[in-house]
Amino acid sequence: MTGNEIYRDVTKEEFPQECSRLFNGGNGRLRTMFAADLRETGEGFCIYAVFSRAQEDRFEILRLKNIEGKDGAYSFPSITPAVPAAHWYERQIADMFGLVPSGHPDLHPLVLHGLYPPEVYPLRRDISPEAIGRQLALEKEDLSPFMEVKGEGIYEIPVGPVHAGIIEPGHFRFSAVGETIYYLDARLFYTHKGVEKLFERTGFRAGVRLAERVSGVSSFAHSAAYCMALERMSGTLLPARAAAIRTLLLEMERLYNHVGDIGNMCAGTGFAVGYAQGASLKERLMALNERLTGSRYLRGVNAPGGVLADPLDEPAGTLREIEDITKEYKSFISFLTDSVSHVERLENAGVLSRPVALSLGATGVAARASGLNDDIRTTHPHLYYNQLVFETHTRMKGDVFARMMLRADEVECSIAIIRSILHKAKGKRIEGSILSEWEAPANKSGQALGYVEGPRGSVFYFVKSAADGTPLRVKPRAASFCNWPLMPFAVHGNIVPDFPLINKSFNLSYSGSDA
Amino acid sequence: MGMSNLQFLIIILLSPLLQGIIKKMKAYAQGRVGPGVLQPYWDLARLFRKDMVISETASWIFHATPFIVFLSTLAASLMVPVITPDAPVLAIGDIIALLYTLALGRFFLVLAGLDAGTAFGGEGSSREATVAILVEPMMMLAIFTSAVAGGSTKLSVISKSMHILDSPAHVLAFAAFFVALIADTGRVPVDNPDTHLELTMIHEGMVLEYSGRYLALLEWAHYMKQMLLFTIAIDLFFPFGIKGDALRSALFYIIKLLVLAAAMAATESSRAKLRFFQLPSLLGGAFVLSLLSLITFVMLGR
Repeated sequence: MTGNEIYRDVTKEEFPQECSRLFNGGNGRLRTMFAADLRETGEGFCIYAVFSRAQEDRFEILRLKNIEGKDGAYSFPSITPAVPAAHWYERQIADMFGLVPSGHPDLHPLVLHGLYPPEVYPLRRDISPEAIGRQLALEKEDLSPFMEVKGEGIYEIPVGPVHAGIIEPGHFRFSAVGETIYYLDARLFYTHKGVEKLFERTGFRAGVRLAERVSGVSSFAHSAAYCMALERMSGTLLPARAAAIRTLLLEMERLYNHVGDIGNMCAGTGFAVGYAQGASLKERLMALNERLTGSRYLRGVNAPGGVLADPLDEPAGTLREIEDITKEYKSFISFLTDSVSHVERLENAGVLSRPVALSLGATGVAARASGLNDDIRTTHPHLYYNQLVFETHTRMKGDVFARMMLRADEVECSIAIIRSILHKAKGKRIEGSILSEWEAPANKSGQALGYVEGPRGSVFYFVKSAADGTPLRVKPRAASFCNWPLMPFAVHGNIVPDFPLINKSFNLSYSGSDA
Repeated sequence: MGMSNLQFLIIILLSPLLQGIIKKMKAYAQGRVGPGVLQPYWDLARLFRKDMVISETASWIFHATPFIVFLSTLAASLMVPVITPDAPVLAIGDIIALLYTLALGRFFLVLAGLDAGTAFGGEGSSREATVAILVEPMMMLAIFTSAVAGGSTKLSVISKSMHILDSPAHVLAFAAFFVALIADTGRVPVDNPDTHLELTMIHEGMVLEYSGRYLALLEWAHYMKQMLLFTIAIDLFFPFGIKGDALRSALFYIIKLLVLAAAMAATESSRAKLRFFQLPSLLGGAFVLSLLSLITFVMLGR
């Protein structure tokens, strides 16, 4: 069922104008943008741009097909000047497909670092990963330059890509004056795993395991969005009980992430007791995940057509555990908000302004803490959300404290949703099967979007099948991909020792963004 | 009398234990079991056996600093009455000499942080120097109250004069000294000794490039400095029991040390670190306290 997806082919001339109209004409959001190599179906290289508005449940998907190239140099008109949110997508397209966005204001490699062989575009269908592996120049140094800030008293602090502690790799280059950060240049994509290419090889069904591994703590959001895309592509109807279970587990995932993130901010301020309490609370939630589904990270649950585990079969016990955790959470959060020394560190640190969040296409906590009401649970109701009554939240200040308190608001909301689903299940109001048959569309090509609101923001998947039912293109778009470009704006003017705290308040995924 | 000259060994040998105890107390406050109190000894033993990795840009300063820091801390501990003020060796220096012997170590540590040529070392050094400028005068003033009351700058004389925490001047001076203690031992809210976040480090930033036995020496010297400063606090503000029987005095000393350690652990566990640019307010406030303490003493005469 792809009733809310409207696909439209546009010409090269119309493309930037139409994108600009959809993005700038009142509450427009660029949800995802990607290229596809459809040379085998005669459509050539295509660019897709997916827009939607906050007030209506409709996706407008513009497609620019048969991109022309001279001597193998393909280019298309860049939309970044009109749609700033497209700037990373276009750089990604240039790296992965060799389609150059002409007119892009800041075009340089995003995903592929210096080690990559030049003019090898990994996502073209005729390139095999093994061939790329053989051409990697491992002895070459990574020489692509960082943005350089010049002036008296400016010095650079390189951090990473290997960090202290057990976190993912990313290189941050600060240009600072004394302790004040002037500019931050981040080089990411060290954990690029070639997921999109792998999706094309594994086949749709096995792809669920892959989707679960795009970003560890958003495993369920990714697999749910991916399965949703597959179901919409083939017109499979999701059983009500499976929709309720997915909704329940999406909220469980949000819950353990938000609680963990709130606790982690204490590590940023050196507040060891708060950090320890957050960690123990998160552990309780993950243990509950394991009891409900057999997996702490909620993996192995989703499958195209439904779910493989039924955490609703014993709702009374789960309800009791949730009540217990809620009590502990309430004393935890009031302990933190009563700690003046902690709150003082959070207030006014790392302010992300609303205009920046809007034009760069922020999503999730980062967007909502800066006053952007963007929660696709309500703007594009899916799964079981339209059967539930709940409130979404926004905060206006955009600082670290706003992001912490927004998470606190959303924890309450998630608990309410979980409770109401469990109560319905207890009253035997969500019955039926949890899995229906799923087959890829036969003898015709299909395509669809899948989307959920994950812990860090919206997660989008686009799937397209070939006539023989194999994947032609699978494009995951993690929330963090939208939010990483915000960091330089949020840290500008802050002091260097506050960076870890600001970073933790966004808590972005490297793996998800790097894919 | 010969044995009493060896009381500095207590500081050398037991300072890792004190560190272990503080860590254990903090772990309890966080609801963790935490490592055993002997862990710092195992850490030192492990580090002494390990190979070192040394930056290509490091000069002789980098190599000399661990020894200078360790030996200056050792020399400073010779000047402190631990369980008896009647040791002849205490005549070699007074409190001012002691603090500046410690400052020598700090000076070289700051240089060594810059010497390895990394951004984190340089940051740590610049921050350490900023903090030191604010802490040293405040510490001196706090000590002067006790020195004036005791009629000498010699710690042995001050501790024998038995001016315990019984006058407003001493209470104010102790409050200021406690802040200095937190800053000098690199603890929350000034610094965070347990962090892995390089960008926030002060003391840990300076020693980040050290490894193996150099790091062991620096860590050990840091433990010693901590115990030394605790002991100075005891000598200045809680000297009761130090005169007379050595065993009784040692018992008193241990109890006082544990109380101070608990106060330190409680302070660290009950609050977040200050934003770096707010440190001058805390340290400046403590400076005012120490100044008030001296003025109060002069005006009240006690």
